Amino acid sequence: MDPKNPEKDRQYGGLGEVFAVPIGPIHPALKEPIRLTFHVRGERIVGVEIRTGFAHRGIEFMGMRQGRNLIQVLYLAERICGICSISHPIAFTQAVERAAGIEVPPRAQYIRVIISELERIHSHLLWAGVAAHELGFDTLLHLTWRVREKVLDILEELTGNRINYAIPIFGGVRRDITPEQYPKVWEMIRYYRGLLEQLLDAFLRDPTVEARTRGVGILEPKEAEELCAVGPTARASGLKKDVRQDRPYLAYPDFEVKAITPEDYGLTPMGDVFDKIVVRLLEVGQSLEIIEKALENMPEGEITSFPKIPALLAHLKKAEGEGLGWHEAPRGEVIHYVRLVSGEESPLVWKVKAPTYSNLLSWYPMFEDQEVADIPIIAACIDPCICCMDRVYLVRNGREETWTKEELLRLSWEKTRRMRRWRA
Amino acid sequence: MKAAQVLEALTAALGEKLKSPELRPRETGVRKKWRVEEIWAEVPREAIPQAVAALRNLGPLHISIISGHDAGETIELLYHLAVGFGTEGGEVMVTLRTFLPKGDPTVPSISGILPGAETTEREKIEFLGVDFPGIPRRDHVFLPDDLPVHPWRRDEPELQKFLHRMVEWEKDDGPQKS
Repeated sequence: MDPKNPEKDRQYGGLGEVFAVPIGPIHPALKEPIRLTFHVRGERIVGVEIRTGFAHRGIEFMGMRQGRNLIQVLYLAERICGICSISHPIAFTQAVERAAGIEVPPRAQYIRVIISELERIHSHLLWAGVAAHELGFDTLLHLTWRVREKVLDILEELTGNRINYAIPIFGGVRRDITPEQYPKVWEMIRYYRGLLEQLLDAFLRDPTVEARTRGVGILEPKEAEELCAVGPTARASGLKKDVRQDRPYLAYPDFEVKAITPEDYGLTPMGDVFDKIVVRLLEVGQSLEIIEKALENMPEGEITSFPKIPALLAHLKKAEGEGLGWHEAPRGEVIHYVRLVSGEESPLVWKVKAPTYSNLLSWYPMFEDQEVADIPIIAACIDPCICCMDRVYLVRNGREETWTKEELLRLSWEKTRRMRRWRA
Repeated sequence: MKAAQVLEALTAALGEKLKSPELRPRETGVRKKWRVEEIWAEVPREAIPQAVAALRNLGPLHISIISGHDAGETIELLYHLAVGFGTEGGEVMVTLRTFLPKGDPTVPSISGILPGAETTEREKIEFLGVDFPGIPRRDHVFLPDDLPVHPWRRDEPELQKFLHRMVEWEKDDGPQKS
């Protein structure tokens, strides 16, 4: 019993005192460190504190104040995120093109769209595999990551790299898609078409996956709207929020993108982890459609309005103005603001917003009143970039214990097995 | 939602306070053309919550980011908001520009009206040294709690020394050879 707060105590079933359980910040297997301090009463989470910034590299400062020119800053923008490595350059080039009044040829716009949709497929499949692993369903992890290789091969074929594609440049793109590459992309589309139904079946019709994700980590539509959640996190709560649909850019009006919510799969949106799986898998299908349409209607012509880099740099140095560029990355809205001053090579102001920045606040309601064993999957459900389940540092009655990520995962897997037994 | 409609609502709510409103549309699409609307306007700092509340009443409101920079005598903040998501091409981007004097760099918080603005307001506190009276949490988001400088200010005499120490530590702070 907690004598200090009898009301709250009744609410959480008289489980006694609240303990603070810090998770993170460092784990070598994950890209971004973060510290989540959970306040738990027994197995129930009653509050969470989030501390980010352990991997803050000051990229905007490096772009603004250390004498880089805009092309050097473009490569810096590409390295903000490994998985979204076309989303940031697309938003950044658009912002600079608005500021400097540069037009992008139609064919270049189509190539940018194709590469970014390929990126969405690989990112969503990566996430699905991580989600399966967090649930202890490693067969599914290996299946999804095996089929993900196909899209990475196509990205390598088209750009030369599996990530960090270096495709957009101010005024166009750096590489064309050649006639002999088309059949390979078509073959990839056919491959995923055949697989998608199988993947949906494996994830959504498995009773254990459903039991572990239904009703877990709920984000109510009202909360999602107020907290300005973006991407699949917002769409799983039923908000029709997709930058490609709401304020289309580049060639996106041609494809008439519609925001995907669980309703498109015949479900009432609940905003839980299950709905986030539904939205992400359906978006793989949507991206395939967009790539297909783009390949069919690909305009002919130039791929850049500035084929010579010195001319481009000279134009950018003279440019004066400000601009916004946005893009729907796999995880949600990316936005860049740039201001250029004539005579300066670096931008005067450069502000970057990545999707997780907007989704950070949605974690608070999601973790509320959940179980400790569900922490890995809830943390992973908004974005696999930030979940740092390195170790749990448990302070219980003044005695300190350290839990490893393996320990937490073991807890999660045990819960899955327990549920299977109940069902059998 | 149309830009004219948004501009009308902003003018009705702010009147004289809405300075130099400007429409900056962009043409997008290759085969199907689409005009995406953007509104840019200057608003005095005390009217920011009023402007955000007016946009909130108009339709679903999203805050992308607050960007800002040190403009010498003042600190310039730009609120990048988007109103009216949910329909095809129906969202209008609204950028509100405001200037804060260096002597009193404060602007009322909008986290009460739009809770999603909290992270970006907290980020401005640590990077530009501005303050948002009324914000629920003030702790740092990205920078260490004990960082002595605001990195985006251009008038920080300590900043250059601090960066120098970070980059050149081997030369300056390394073991002294006697």
